[in-house]
Amino acid sequence: MFVVIAGGGRTGTQLAKYLISINHKVNLVEYRKDILSRIHKEIPTEAIFSGNPLDTDILEQADIMHANVFAATTPSDADNLALCYLVREHYGVKRTIARVNNPRNAWLFDKKFRVDVAVNQADILSRLIEEEMSLGDMMTLLKLRRGKYSLVEEKVPQNAKAVGKQIKELKLPAKCVISAVIRKGELVLPQGSTIIQADDEVLAITDSEGAKQMAELFAMPDHP
Amino acid sequence: MKIIVVGCGRIGAELANNLYKQGHQVSVVDENKNAFNNLPPEFEGRILEGDALNQDILIRAGIETCDGLAAVTNYDPLNAVVSHVAKTEFNVPVVVARNYDPKLRKLFEVFNIQVVSSTSWGAQRVEELLSDSEVRTVFSAGNGEVEVYELHIPAEWDGKKVSDLITCNECKWLAVTRAGAAILPEADTVLKTGDVLTVAATMEGISDTRKNLKSRKEG
Repeated sequence: MFVVIAGGGRTGTQLAKYLISINHKVNLVEYRKDILSRIHKEIPTEAIFSGNPLDTDILEQADIMHANVFAATTPSDADNLALCYLVREHYGVKRTIARVNNPRNAWLFDKKFRVDVAVNQADILSRLIEEEMSLGDMMTLLKLRRGKYSLVEEKVPQNAKAVGKQIKELKLPAKCVISAVIRKGELVLPQGSTIIQADDEVLAITDSEGAKQMAELFAMPDHP
Repeated sequence: MKIIVVGCGRIGAELANNLYKQGHQVSVVDENKNAFNNLPPEFEGRILEGDALNQDILIRAGIETCDGLAAVTNYDPLNAVVSHVAKTEFNVPVVVARNYDPKLRKLFEVFNIQVVSSTSWGAQRVEELLSDSEVRTVFSAGNGEVEVYELHIPAEWDGKKVSDLITCNECKWLAVTRAGAAILPEADTVLKTGDVLTVAATMEGISDTRKNLKSRKEG
């Protein structure tokens, strides 16, 4: 896939490096001089285009006409919005992704400005922190669907409520599915009849409500 | 009329105050509270300190019921985004944006927003004044793509035809004023020293006509 990224701050550079490492073609546009000198050390020079991404000449140099995906990761919400609209309406780019800098501006990041995916870092981070504070030993491995669902891992302590019970007896909510149990280093594919044992590592896909119930079932009895 | 002005720099402050003096109901929005110092003390419209991308600020400024919005900050993407929101989300009947950096003009075309390119317009005007005192701009159509000029006919062109002077398709003759009375000229109308010839032309058309004016003077 060919991805054009506007904005070479930490988010943009990290994204570019990752995409290049998994063999995608990336062109990155950035105009801040100090940042340009830094990113030249991190990503290949031929992938870097210096100039204002809102200048159509610069975007065309970065071959926006052939991009499959465009990602706007500048620190200005106005730039990110205007860019997504520009690349869709003027160059027909099929998929646009934009970073939301100020959560108050999140209302603009949708089809109004042709933003397909809005990445609201503050929102994701605050949800993550909130969970970490309330869920104790549960570890979030992956955020799915913009952070609405998570893949979580919980190590089952001795004396937890769930120990000795079948999964079907746990009465987990509908939006919480146990997808794997790791027992003594072996993967056990869970069924309703699988009995939870102490020291199992349980992986589940769940929303935040389900994660709370899970935390209760798998926590140590004296857990606050 | 109820009008919102976004950006209280030199253009914004001047615009807001002019509208206020004409009796309009004006709200000015700017992120930087020091910007409101650009307004004269007699201005009594509303001022709102805040980010123009913030929905609450726009609603408090009265975007749901306003008759017009001008986005005149010195930041083009902000002007474009605010104008687009005003037009498409709040159905503001008239929206005008300022284009600050001429390189970003295309952005406004893509958003299909009415735009005033103050920088390019100013530069063009100054350039014209520098390059020729016999040619004066009297009217700009659009953003100066076509302008109406007055040409003062020098002695070197006395007795020559209009069609000898105007040889470019991008320049059209409109009127000849002689001793205060104007006529509609034909191709073979004969010019006299001191005539004022009014033409409409593009930049290319007027520079061609300028060349013709000069060539006879020098030759």
